[in-house]
Amino acid sequence: MIDITEHYTQQYHSLAENLPGNGVEWIKTYRNNRLSRFQEAGFPTTRDEDWRYTTVRPITNKKFTSIGDIQVDRYALISSKVAEHSVMDFDSYQLVFVDGVLMTDFSELTALGDGVQINSIADVLRQRPESIQTYFDIDHAEESNGFTELNRAFSKDGAVIELQAGVCLEKPLELLFLSFGDEALAQSRNLIVAHEGSKATIIERYVSAETGYSLTNNLSEVVLDKKSEIDYYLVQTQSRDAYQVSGIWVTQASDSRFSCRTITLGGILVRNEIKIRMLGEGAHCDMFGLYSLSGKQHVDNHTTVVHGAPNCTSNELYKGVLNQRSRGVFHGRIKVEQDAQKTDAKQSNNTLLLSRDAEIDTKPQLEIYADDVKCSHGATIGQMDEVSLFYLRSRGIDESDARSLLTFAFVNDVLREVGIDSLKESLESILSSQLISDRQTV
Amino acid sequence: MLLIKDLHASIDGKAILKGINLEVNPGEVHAIMGPNGSGKSTLASVLAGRANYEVTAGSVTYRDQDLLDMEPEIRAREGVFLAFQYPVEIPGVSNVYLLKAAINSVLKHRGEEELDAMTFLKLIKEKSALVEMKQEFLYRSVNEGFSGGEKKRNEILQMALLEPYLSILDETDSGLDIDALKIVAHGVNTLRSAERSMIVVTHYQRLLDYIVPDYVHVLAGGKIIRSGDKSLALELEAKGYGWIEGQADAA
Repeated sequence: MIDITEHYTQQYHSLAENLPGNGVEWIKTYRNNRLSRFQEAGFPTTRDEDWRYTTVRPITNKKFTSIGDIQVDRYALISSKVAEHSVMDFDSYQLVFVDGVLMTDFSELTALGDGVQINSIADVLRQRPESIQTYFDIDHAEESNGFTELNRAFSKDGAVIELQAGVCLEKPLELLFLSFGDEALAQSRNLIVAHEGSKATIIERYVSAETGYSLTNNLSEVVLDKKSEIDYYLVQTQSRDAYQVSGIWVTQASDSRFSCRTITLGGILVRNEIKIRMLGEGAHCDMFGLYSLSGKQHVDNHTTVVHGAPNCTSNELYKGVLNQRSRGVFHGRIKVEQDAQKTDAKQSNNTLLLSRDAEIDTKPQLEIYADDVKCSHGATIGQMDEVSLFYLRSRGIDESDARSLLTFAFVNDVLREVGIDSLKESLESILSSQLISDRQTV
Repeated sequence: MLLIKDLHASIDGKAILKGINLEVNPGEVHAIMGPNGSGKSTLASVLAGRANYEVTAGSVTYRDQDLLDMEPEIRAREGVFLAFQYPVEIPGVSNVYLLKAAINSVLKHRGEEELDAMTFLKLIKEKSALVEMKQEFLYRSVNEGFSGGEKKRNEILQMALLEPYLSILDETDSGLDIDALKIVAHGVNTLRSAERSMIVVTHYQRLLDYIVPDYVHVLAGGKIIRSGDKSLALELEAKGYGWIEGQADAA
């Protein structure tokens, strides 16, 4: 059996000649450095403190393969899958990704007007790499691990989205990621740059077009300039044979606002890493999370907020509903740097355990180096309240509906943060049918 | 309407009800009084179908059906209503949602058509006025942040909406000031009719000034030790429960 690190290294070498932009010296060096780091680090294990509760062995026991270009003869199928998986009545611009590859033929790249440029990362690296060099080449040594290094070594698929100063996108921009199974390795790397005062809503949504094992190893880097505002969504409703490691790395300048909702209802092993660095004064970020799991689903939400400047505020609320043998992990790190006075940071993680066999590991991690700060964190773990259940039933509501109602009530303060009605309804309907089917298969 | 025969019930193996016999006919209001720990609330909970009580002997017949055999939601749909001593706060579920789900479950059970939004809102407005409940309470989470009096009024609002055949009021007067008590009593009295019955569980006589019962029963040690008309309540008020418990022990 060949070493799994070697498996991906070989894939890299077989593609290296054709990787976009490799003719440019700095890009080539960049990729080689990332690959070396990947080879040194390998994939994380439970011996790494940040991965203590999540073993990636189910991922490293399989060999996923990066797919090449998507052939035109698949277009009809892709088109029907896009229609099937689109949210009803959801008025958005859409970018479609198939196993990580941005499908320019299915995507609205130019409809958004002059103020917004959307290109495939491959085109940008081939045609004008210098335009993204400052964002691309940042070394996030502290934040990286084997997965992100592997993603960045390839850097061949993904979108580069640039909002010009003052532009306000009137419709949400949805990045729809379709997985076709077949042990495909989907690795898109996306870059979103919001210039001063711009505003947009961006949604990453992951679905399975077909069943079968797949690994999505995505990284999105979001750069917010002064006074810009981004509402971000990470929505995961894949089938139960999808593996995903997702990184959203955010850098915020002064007075910018970033708000993220992570809704995880699908996948078998999912790790979401959201890392927000507020580097300018007066920035604000929100992180809301909702995960409802059953069977043997394992979802690990790993969040980091760095307060790197004074007068920044952050607010984080994650809620989980765990059924059957599912397992949730929440790790919330807040770092307040020495000069980040007047920081106000809040964090909480609440879990509803619906089964004896479900498990949650929750870990707040606060590192505070400034002295004039407000930081709070809390975690609660509870079960379905029998008195509330009886109360509802005594009003004529049947037991199954009462349980759903109480579960919805529990996650309501996260669900209401989904500000797009059609998307919210779609998620409520998925959640509701999952809760009903989970009870029937106990 | 309701026939309770030799009802025994326990919680965690501890016997609480030790042979209750009670018959309630249509149109009657029965008050059940008794000292703390006598089993009053247990009786109310058993009738509504709360799961943590185990019925160890006896029977309860409600409108010719075996009440104990029904799930709590079926009892509710068949017209049994329990106004809780401690109404439950349910953050995240709006009051109006609960009210609508409740009335529609009852209508559906009876084979009637569910209410559309307009009809429902009109009805709920009328019922809210009955208990002097402001509209804003409808859109708040169920009982969340309500005062004691507001919670009890909310119970009576639900009752007024569902129009049950058998209402069981479990210490509805506890925690109420005199004004709230009058409002609650008015709501209850409006519902009185020849085909509806009520069981009013209370510790104090005060409530019975406003909801005048046809019969008063004294519950002590898990049994009804004395029954009478409304004058029994006044006698109890004057002499205290010790008087009647003493009599029962002597007998």
